[in-house]
Amino acid sequence: MNDQWTDRLSEYVDGELASGERTALEAHLATCAECRATLEELRRVVARAKALEDRAPKADLWAGVAKRIGSGQVVDIRSRRRFSFSVPQLIAASIALILLSGSGMWLALRSRQTATRTPRPDAEWQVLNVSTRRTDAAIADLQEVFERNKSRLDTSTVRVVQQAFTTIDRAIAEARAALEADPGNAYLNLHLADTMRRKLELLRRVNAIAAAQS
Amino acid sequence: MRDQVIEDTLPADSIAADVALAASGDASAFERLYRTHVARVHSLVRRMLDADEADDLTQDVFVRAWEKLSTFRGESAFATWLHRLAVNVVLGRRKTLGVERGRFHGGEDPLEGVSGRRETPEMSMDFEDALARLPDGARQVFVLHDVEGYRHEEIARMLGVVPGTSKSQLHHARMALRRYLDR
Repeated sequence: MNDQWTDRLSEYVDGELASGERTALEAHLATCAECRATLEELRRVVARAKALEDRAPKADLWAGVAKRIGSGQVVDIRSRRRFSFSVPQLIAASIALILLSGSGMWLALRSRQTATRTPRPDAEWQVLNVSTRRTDAAIADLQEVFERNKSRLDTSTVRVVQQAFTTIDRAIAEARAALEADPGNAYLNLHLADTMRRKLELLRRVNAIAAAQS
Repeated sequence: MRDQVIEDTLPADSIAADVALAASGDASAFERLYRTHVARVHSLVRRMLDADEADDLTQDVFVRAWEKLSTFRGESAFATWLHRLAVNVVLGRRKTLGVERGRFHGGEDPLEGVSGRRETPEMSMDFEDALARLPDGARQVFVLHDVEGYRHEEIARMLGVVPGTSKSQLHHARMALRRYLDR
C-alpha cells in the first residue's frame, strides 16, 4: 500500500521534515502498521549502506597506472625483501644516494642560476610556499618518529645519520638564506624544495629501517 | 566520513610524506598512496558505474591524481581530496556515456522484474548486486548520499539536478533496496 505519507518516510529518516510535518507523520505512524514497517526497512537500508565494506579490485591495477604516468618502476612489494643487507649498509646506501643526487642537482642549479633569474608568478609562488610549509610539517613529524626510534639503531649508525641530517639542514639553510635575498628566483625555490624532499626521503627510509628492527 | 578512517589507520606523517614525495615525482611514494587508497576508490567507482568499467576508471582516477598532485594544498585530508577527484572522474564518465538522459525518472519499483529476486534469505540477492541494478540516477544519488555521506544540495550541484530530484531518487532507491536486505 502506498499512502500520502509513504513518499515522505525517507525525509523523516534523514530528519529533513519541518516540525509540523514531522508531528503529523508521527501521528500517522501511530495508527499505520504498514508505514511503521516500511520506516523500519528504510532505516535498515540506510544502516546497510553505511556498513558496506570497500573491496580492492580483483586484479592489481598498479602496472597500468605506472605505465600511464611514465614510471618504469613497477615494484612488486612482496619481492622487495629478497636481498639481505645489514642496517648500516642500508642506511649508508640511502644517504649516499640522497646526498649524491642532491649534489648533482645543486651543481646543475648553480650553473643555471647565474644565467636566468625569472620572477615566479604569484600563483605558482603561493603553491610552492604551501608545499614547503607542508613538507616542513612532514619533516617535523618524521623527525619526531626518528627521535623516538633511534635507540633501535646502533650508535655509530645514528651518528652517520645525524651527520647526513646536518649536511642536508645546512643546504636547506643556505637555500633559504639565498631565497631571502632573491625571493623570486625559480631555481633557488626548486633547489629548496628538492633538498627538503631529500631530507624527507632519508627520514622515511631511516624510520622504516629502525621500525623493522623492533 | 569514510575518508577519515583511512587517514586514521595510517600515521599521518606517512601519508603526508608520501604525498610530498609523489608531488615531487617519486613514483614509489605514489605507489604506496595507490595501495592505501585503491580499495576505497575502486569501490566508489564500481558502485557508481558498471563493474566492468571500474578497473579502467580506477586507473583514470589515479592517473588524474598524479597529474594534479601539485594542486593538492593539504587543506583537507588526502583521502578526501582523492575521493572528490574520483567522484568527478565518475561524473565526467557518466556525462560521456550520456546516461543522465531519462534516468532520473525511474518507476515505482526500479528492480521490478530483476531475475534472481527471492524472498528467502539463502536466495536473496546480494545488496551490492541489487544496488548495481538500480537505474543510474537513483544508484548514483543513493551511493553519494547513503554510502558516501554527501548532502542533497551537494549531490544536486554535482549531478545538475534540483535537490528535490535528489531526494525523490534517494527514496525510490531505498524503497527498491529494502527488499534485498539480509533477512
